[in-house]
Amino acid sequence: MVRVENLYKSFDGKTVLNNITAEFSQGQTNLIIGKSGSGKTVLLKSIVGLHEVDSGRIFYGERDFTGMSSRERKLLRREIGMVFQGGALFDSLTVAENVRFPLDMFTTQTATEKQKRIDFCLDRVNIARDVQRLSPAEISGGMQKRVAIARAIVLNPPYLFCDEPNSGLDPETAKVIDTLIYGITTEFNITTIVNTHDMNSVMEIGDKILFISEGQVEWTGNKTEILYAGNRKLQEFVFANHQYRQLRDDKRSGI
Amino acid sequence: MTFLAHTGRYFALLGKVFSRPERLRMYTAKLFTEIESLGVNSVGLVMILSSFIGAIITLQLSYNLVNPLIPRYLVGLANRDTLILEFSCTIMAMIMTGKIGSNIASELGTMRVTEQIDSLEIMGVNSACYLIMPKITAVIFVFPFLYILSVFCGLVGGLIVGPAMGAISAADYLGGIRYLFVPRFVYLSAFKSLFFGFLVSSVPAYFGYYVEGGAFEVGAASTRAVINTNILVLVLDLILTQILF
Ligand SMILES: Nc1ncnc2c1ncn2[C@@H]1O[C@H](COP(=O)(O)OP(=O)(O)OP(=O)(O)O)[C@@H](O)[C@H]1O
Ligand SMILES: [Mg+2]
Repeated sequence: MVRVENLYKSFDGKTVLNNITAEFSQGQTNLIIGKSGSGKTVLLKSIVGLHEVDSGRIFYGERDFTGMSSRERKLLRREIGMVFQGGALFDSLTVAENVRFPLDMFTTQTATEKQKRIDFCLDRVNIARDVQRLSPAEISGGMQKRVAIARAIVLNPPYLFCDEPNSGLDPETAKVIDTLIYGITTEFNITTIVNTHDMNSVMEIGDKILFISEGQVEWTGNKTEILYAGNRKLQEFVFANHQYRQLRDDKRSGI
Repeated sequence: MTFLAHTGRYFALLGKVFSRPERLRMYTAKLFTEIESLGVNSVGLVMILSSFIGAIITLQLSYNLVNPLIPRYLVGLANRDTLILEFSCTIMAMIMTGKIGSNIASELGTMRVTEQIDSLEIMGVNSACYLIMPKITAVIFVFPFLYILSVFCGLVGGLIVGPAMGAISAADYLGGIRYLFVPRFVYLSAFKSLFFGFLVSSVPAYFGYYVEGGAFEVGAASTRAVINTNILVLVLDLILTQILF
């Protein structure tokens, strides 16, 4: 479980996070949704401490992250797997080496054990074996994202944070990624937070949804409630795609 | 940012760089790659530049020191001392800033703007230590070797080109480079090159590590890194020369 209380963050006088309070549950996929520029990435980066918040508190379980020393934070971060919006693979390493990096750094496994784990994680994100020896520059953007997910889960982290894991992916692969994230979240009972502005993902895996707009929490709920929410801004966001208005109307009339 | 703020942040970064590594084996592996990419790959450049400079100094002096009161062997001596005292040490450090320094700044800058540094931090790795310490260590380690290599190539360059152009006889030249030779100067300059190695790696690393923005800022940081490092090398040269010689 991750809990944030009254987070404020501004850049040069421009408020980006405005009093955000939220709880992200364990064993569920918690989505942060909102328009581009609403502050999703800043919120996620603040939760992991890549941005220092101006005020407010962040808890991992009962541990107060905001009060921690940098050494304590470093230890806690080993429990976090994170997928950045741009993938952020190490471009001096191959695909396999990228996924192996956390294993090399933090485990004492043998080379064969490591390779088994790498194969397992890359298989789960549908990366073929012969791609393993390529460098990140040689694979497509969508594949980079998937490799980044494999790297994030390689140490079985109790916390998984993904910043738009399926933006830039085709609908089919996007669904595979969603299912994967959902699968590992429930299977290993981890606390997952996913940033997205993709309504398909919302309807697919939205156990718990936090809608933010201009740095404020506008609405919280889940994927069944979202179609019937009364919040105007949320309605604009959800029904920007007509298919969902149709879906709601169909459900209302019991089709 | 003011000069003072930069200085403060530079030393704070060094504090992060020189802390205990998470896993030593990963760092030593990286050290060897850095020695290769920053050091061994610079050998060719050092050899070419130094040979030419040695040859050119020899020619210039031979053609211009025409006073019959000045013995010919002084050409060799002057070439040797120029190389030993300043060229192979200080000027070479400034040239290496253009090669190694800009490389370090742009590599780290790119890693910063593509969130690779953030990825390391999130994994619980001290990114400054992991990325920068091997570079600084590698450059400090290779600099004295590059210095010796540069002196050697410069002397050989003069020896080949001087007599070949009929500017000076090989005997005069060889006599000159042995005349009044003070080994201590070599040791002191090699010692100085250790400090230059530190500057040439750590200052560009600082500029690259704290880049904010995108490709444009990475380019700008790389330029600033080279300029500032060169100035610092000269300032430090002044100070060390005053203290040591
Ligand atoms: N380092 C920074 N310095 C200054 N302003 C920033 C910084 N990072 C983000 N912002 C500002 O914060 C606001 C929110 O940005 P953020 O990246 O969180 O949006 P987002 O919701 O993730 O959008 P997207 O869906 O496009 O990724 C933007 O207006 C942006 O200009
Ligand atoms: Mg974002």
